[in-house]
Amino acid sequence: MIDFLTWLEGTSFSIWVREAPTIWAFSTILTLHTFGMGVLVGASALLDLRLLGVGRTMPIGPLQSLYRIMWSGFWLNLVTGSMLFAADATSRGTQWLFFVKMLFVIIGVVTMVLIRRRVFGGPAEPTVVSSAVRGLAVVSLVAWVAAITAGRLLAYVN
Amino acid sequence: MPFINLPHLHLLMNHVPTVGTVVAVGLFILALARRNEHLKHAALEVFFLIALATLPVYLTGVAAQLEIQGRPDVSKAAITAHHDAALLAFILMMLTGFVSWLSLWQFRRHGRSAGWTTGGILLLAVLTLAVVAPAASIGGEIRHPEIMPDPNAVAPAGVWVSAAAVQDIVTTRPWVWPAAETLHFIGLSLLFGILFAINLRLLGGFRAISYASMHRMLPWGMLGFGINLITGMLFFIAAPEQYTANAPFLWKIICLMIAGADLLYLTVFDKIWALEPGDDAAVLDKAIAATAIVAWVGVIYWGRMLPFLGNAF
Repeated sequence: MIDFLTWLEGTSFSIWVREAPTIWAFSTILTLHTFGMGVLVGASALLDLRLLGVGRTMPIGPLQSLYRIMWSGFWLNLVTGSMLFAADATSRGTQWLFFVKMLFVIIGVVTMVLIRRRVFGGPAEPTVVSSAVRGLAVVSLVAWVAAITAGRLLAYVN
Repeated sequence: MPFINLPHLHLLMNHVPTVGTVVAVGLFILALARRNEHLKHAALEVFFLIALATLPVYLTGVAAQLEIQGRPDVSKAAITAHHDAALLAFILMMLTGFVSWLSLWQFRRHGRSAGWTTGGILLLAVLTLAVVAPAASIGGEIRHPEIMPDPNAVAPAGVWVSAAAVQDIVTTRPWVWPAAETLHFIGLSLLFGILFAINLRLLGGFRAISYASMHRMLPWGMLGFGINLITGMLFFIAAPEQYTANAPFLWKIICLMIAGADLLYLTVFDKIWALEPGDDAAVLDKAIAATAIVAWVGVIYWGRMLPFLGNAF
């Protein structure tokens, strides 16, 4: 495993991301990653809050289009996140905190999909929110807060 | 910017909080006395805008402090006293602006504002006035010894807040900065998600939802804004030299002013408020919504690029 991480970190692409003396490498990728986080977590939090009862007059059905926004943020961050990982593969790949972050991202995305199935999966317009869905909304919010916390703290533990 | 620097900008803007608060308190009391709802709204809007304008006044003030505090002809004690009084005034001003905004939101949501917000605003505004006026006066004494009865005596700030104490808390406890950064990113997500969605409604997304329903989410965006204002100020007060000489920070604040005004626009304009399910916003409102989204993206971009485009952190 460490051989793979060492190889990955040594590829010319990884070196470019890490060391290129331009703002378009590491810093721009990191900024896009932050932006993707705001898009994914923000859109997800909006849906979670509505499912938990905030703004009850807002119909739930049209909120399905939030998923397009969430997936855009997700793919942007999968791509930029992979680039950032490649640049620092040997340190990130051996940090337990990084895997904690990945765990919570996976929980967040899986919860997102489960909410979609339960809320928007049927033919009828969703109106009532079951307690199971409310539970999923809470899991979603907690997972995103935990993922952001772990991700942010990665910058401080080394 | 070669034609103007931050200390100069501070001198240009530093009367806004004091004079603005006097005007707004006057308007507010007049509105209560005349029981005039329109006038009251105008006063609340002015409170919010003054609070917004106070942010660059404070930030440029710190830039001015860093610029002149080493000079032999100015009193460092007077600068510190001015800063501490200004910090308390800033906090009170922000609270007044926040409760004013909440009152305007409540009016939209319930058709009237809760009684506690009116009383709270009056109390906070009078307190703000009581602190901001002396703060401004001490500020004047830094460069104008002729206005002092005794040029050797420096007026004490007389407040319990101290920028040095805030700086001490943030810099000596190693967990504070990372914790505040974490909250800053959580606040960012909440703020951006809500504001992006509401502005998207004006641009034609979520058309099946009435604007009024979307607007109910706005306090959660304001919560994110509040978290980020507090944590952001902790960073700024703890390490001001990282920001005052940093061009991306200037751009971030410019974007933040535009984006902050959007929070008021989304709440007080009747035309967008009347958008029912299926309704399309007017071209001007779409342009404003697009500008707001660009401004929020700008805030994130310049904020994240601070260490890369500006001086290193």
